[in-house]
Amino acid sequence: MTASVPPAAVLVEDLHVRFGEVEAVAGVSLTAYAGQSTALLGRNGAGKSTTMRVLAGVVPPTTGRVSVAGHDVARDPLAVKRAVGYCPDVGGLVPRATPWEHLQLAARLRRLPSVAEAGHEAGWETRGRDLLERFELGGVAHRVTAGFSHGMGRRLSVVLAAFHQPDVLLLDEPFDGVDPLGVEATFDVVADARSRGASVLLSTHLRELAIQVCSSALVLRGGERVATLDATELLGEVGADAYRALLD
Amino acid sequence: MPTAHSWTDLVVRPVVDTAHLVRFRGATVRRPRVARIAWGTMLGITAAVVVVPALAPGAGAPTGRAFDALLLLPTFMAGFLVLALVSAVASGGGRELLPHEQAVAHPVSPTTDHLGALLLAPLNIAWLLQAWFLLGSAAWAKGPDGLLALEVVLLVWLALATALAQVVAWSVEAVRRRSHGVAVVRTAGVALALVALWLQLTDRWGPLLDALPTLELVVAGLDGHSPRWWATVAGMLVALVATVALGAWPAHLTARRLPRDEQRVESASHAARPTPCSELGMLLRLDRASVWRAVPMRRGLGVLAVGPGLVALAGGLTWDMVVVLPGLVVSGGVLLFGVNAWSLDGRGGLWRESLPVDPALVFRARSLVMAEWLLSAAAVTVVLASLRAGVPDASEAAALLCALVVVTAQVVAVAMTWSIRRPFSVDLRSARATPAPPVVMVGYSARLATSTTITAMVFSALSWTAPWWVSVAVAAPFLAWSGVRWRRAQRRWVDAPTRALVVTTVAA
Repeated sequence: MTASVPPAAVLVEDLHVRFGEVEAVAGVSLTAYAGQSTALLGRNGAGKSTTMRVLAGVVPPTTGRVSVAGHDVARDPLAVKRAVGYCPDVGGLVPRATPWEHLQLAARLRRLPSVAEAGHEAGWETRGRDLLERFELGGVAHRVTAGFSHGMGRRLSVVLAAFHQPDVLLLDEPFDGVDPLGVEATFDVVADARSRGASVLLSTHLRELAIQVCSSALVLRGGERVATLDATELLGEVGADAYRALLD
Repeated sequence: MPTAHSWTDLVVRPVVDTAHLVRFRGATVRRPRVARIAWGTMLGITAAVVVVPALAPGAGAPTGRAFDALLLLPTFMAGFLVLALVSAVASGGGRELLPHEQAVAHPVSPTTDHLGALLLAPLNIAWLLQAWFLLGSAAWAKGPDGLLALEVVLLVWLALATALAQVVAWSVEAVRRRSHGVAVVRTAGVALALVALWLQLTDRWGPLLDALPTLELVVAGLDGHSPRWWATVAGMLVALVATVALGAWPAHLTARRLPRDEQRVESASHAARPTPCSELGMLLRLDRASVWRAVPMRRGLGVLAVGPGLVALAGGLTWDMVVVLPGLVVSGGVLLFGVNAWSLDGRGGLWRESLPVDPALVFRARSLVMAEWLLSAAAVTVVLASLRAGVPDASEAAALLCALVVVTAQVVAVAMTWSIRRPFSVDLRSARATPAPPVVMVGYSARLATSTTITAMVFSALSWTAPWWVSVAVAAPFLAWSGVRWRRAQRRWVDAPTRALVVTTVAA
């Protein structure tokens, strides 16, 4: 009897992304499975964020095949965008809109049923409020985000990515500048997503946090994948040494 | 341990730092060849406006229009000062040589900031047009004989007036940043408007303009290279140095106080409203919030809408002149954000781009918000101007409406095209922010001013020469061409690689 392999939610084959003369991603291939969380690790400029942007449908691939939740990114980016929740690496917030207005926009464009349509406790408003409270943003739900601290902005970006319970959750540097309570809330979001069968891809510089929340890790260097590791292989001093060796 | 400020701290370092920042900005220009051409063009135009009118028939004549221009020269000089004042005050102390977000990591002193704002002040089409108008008027009024002496006086005046405006702008900004400062500044603005109105109603503008001290400067300029001329120029240069130095003081005062306008906007709460029924409605709501909650847009709109309206009201402009105003307001208004429209989303552009929505709908929403914003500004101007213009006849009303719609369509189509062709990462929080670098803004504003003025002049002529339906007929091809340009821009936006480049650039 063989163990069942979960379906691949993200499939990337030989992805290349070029901006003019700069090749930001040079032949990355990866597979991420439903119900699992995968870390993308690497130094600055390794191509992590560009790969995430391609998976979110924000940047089209120059060459290569990218399938997200069964949809080809190049052919059907709109279907990809419906399936993913994306927390970008920088900002991610419209400066003069409030968190609630961000949620309203996402709910409207993703056609999430409201309380009035779905009945009490089942509408997007209830889930939005709950998430804002979990990330301690309930008190600033109607304040414009321009005045937010960096950490508050990161937390709200995670809320917006997870809000509609996507099939593929893409978190790019979600722990950057976030306090321990925000980190715990992000862990909970990742655990929730996995438990309902979503695939999570998490890009970060922070190996210690990545291995706490992810089951496997891909290490990128110079726009290419250099290793695929089980999270346990990155544990402790041995794991740190192995990771350092992959970065050089 | 605190020490007394030395000459080096107060003067040498800020000047050296300003030179460093100018070199830095120069090195970061994306297309240096285009920038060199732009500088060459500006210098060429300046030389032309000094030489060509002086050689024109009738130049320097002791009677007629040339003499009228000479009589009005002191008023033109005062007008230049007022324009420089309004521009500097509206932009919260002038433009930044290095955006605040980038400068915050460096020890850039307020004196350096002040010197940078002074250097950037001429990179503004309104400043340039007024300066060229002044130099050209003087050339025509004086003719070639002894022109150099007069033009030197005027050139020094341009610098002095700009420095004076900068001192006032920093002082106003320092007051605005005190508690209740915004109310004080607004009250002072209303009081000044009332004084202007009183002068108008009591026919005192004439005597006041005749007594302007700029008259003495013009007389000295007409004296040739006489002792009086030398004394005047020397006095103006001393005043210029003193004014530039004086400006550092309110600049420091301003830098020590928090920008209340920006802070109020950034800490403001907005009660939740019901979710709009349509995707377009939701997109419009967010885009409107991005525009109307931004300090530079609100302040700029106030100046652009009310300023020309009040001038028209005071001058009692007739309808054929009022028809020209929408072009002026719309081409100025679009420079506040429209030429880099996607920068409204700031770093939120990446998240917005990950939402499942037709990009053409996003494009339409942004265009609509821009159009309604420009139309509302132009409408305020027209309403103010109409108070003394009487009831328009059918030709005048049709020409005005057509001009309003046509210039708005023209400007929106062009701005959406430029927003895709040349996006910039800018933070539009501050009143001092501009949507593109200063040299680029000069190019944009020159092109917009030219096209909208020519269009408005066409409808102005039609307002008194043709029946109403001619204006409508003439508007149709204008609108069709703008429609073609707008659709072309939309097609570029819908293209995924182009859109990705725009979004990642503005979110950088």
